[in-house]
Amino acid sequence: MNAFQFLPIRRLPVVAAVTGLMALAACASAPPAPTVSLQAAQQAILTAEQADAGHYASGELGEARAELTSANAAVSETHMLVAERLANESRTEAQLAFARTTYIKAQAVNDEMMRSNGALNQELQRTSGDKQ
Amino acid sequence: MNHVTHSAGLVKNLIATAVATLLLAACATAPVKPDGAAEARNKLTRLQADPNLATRAPQAIETADAAVRLAEQPEADKDLAAYRVYMADRQVEIARADAQTRYAEDQRVLISAQRDQARLDARTREADAAKGQVAIARAEGAQQKLAADQARADADQAKQATADSNQQVAELKLQVEALQAKPTDRGLVLTLGDALFSSGRADLQPGAGGHLQKLVAFLNKYPDRTVVVEGYTDSVGSEDYNQGLSERRAGAVRTYLIEQGISSIRLSALGKGASSPVAGNETAAGRQQNRRVEVVISDPVAASR
Repeated sequence: MNAFQFLPIRRLPVVAAVTGLMALAACASAPPAPTVSLQAAQQAILTAEQADAGHYASGELGEARAELTSANAAVSETHMLVAERLANESRTEAQLAFARTTYIKAQAVNDEMMRSNGALNQELQRTSGDKQ
Repeated sequence: MNHVTHSAGLVKNLIATAVATLLLAACATAPVKPDGAAEARNKLTRLQADPNLATRAPQAIETADAAVRLAEQPEADKDLAAYRVYMADRQVEIARADAQTRYAEDQRVLISAQRDQARLDARTREADAAKGQVAIARAEGAQQKLAADQARADADQAKQATADSNQQVAELKLQVEALQAKPTDRGLVLTLGDALFSSGRADLQPGAGGHLQKLVAFLNKYPDRTVVVEGYTDSVGSEDYNQGLSERRAGAVRTYLIEQGISSIRLSALGKGASSPVAGNETAAGRQQNRRVEVVISDPVAASR
């Protein structure tokens, strides 16, 4: 009987634990914003912008920005899965903008070198022609 | 009853198995790849088949390959399938851009090499040109040497000519001395004493030839010289007589020279009588000196002046 008397006090921690579990379950049903993916997309866009992708790959960069905007919109509507995918698409699109910018710039360097080579060739041939 | 119940349970089991099998079969016959996955695979295959690009971005191509394989998996969730296809497509594009960048960077080595080659060629051409110029210069040098040699030869010749002319002058001097002629402003004057002639006569004495022979030799040696033979007398006798005698004696000498082979064109003779005495007529010695024949040999240089 003594034990029966103490029953309500003994059960208090169990109630608290159940309540905590319920709270956690509530959190799980409304998943957190894909912060890492969003930040990664933001960083990739910044990197592309710094490489002057706005000039060399404006289509891809614009697409990446639009996707990031959509991702943020999805977050505010708590469509976290959609937000995460959009953020990943944005990041990848920004990476593509950066990769294409890098390629175009590398090719421009090559074109300049070849043009310079051609000019050098002409110059050298002319000067050696003059000397003969 | 119990048997029937058992039998009904068996039928139920059979139906369940059949349904399950049908469901499995349905799954097996519809392993449909999501839309767009094939395109992503094609892009990746083209990239992997490009000899310039295939090996140049292995990491990115591996990532793209994984993304394409994921996209190719059948997926009931259309959104997820589309997401995977989109990601796969972009990964392939990134891999292509990375490979292209690396290819461009690798090309630079080639372009630089071409530049170096062009410079080297130019230097070679310059060196060849310089070599050519050296050859030309050498040829010119040889030509100049030739000219110098020629000039030296000319100088030698001139020196020789000068020497020759000096020698000739020296020889002439010797000849003149041998002839006992005196250089005067009229030319060389050879005075032949009256020993050549008998008194009052104009024909040469037999011994005169030896003395005149020197004159003949001289005139043969210097064929451009002309001769004036002048006859002189002393003041004894009439003027007409002396004039006539002097002319005849001069003529005798001229005739002798013609007989010795001297061209008559080069020879003239004239009588001067008792004019132009070289000594006094008061004494016999003076009169002997005045009776003379002077052979005036023209100086070709003086004549041409």
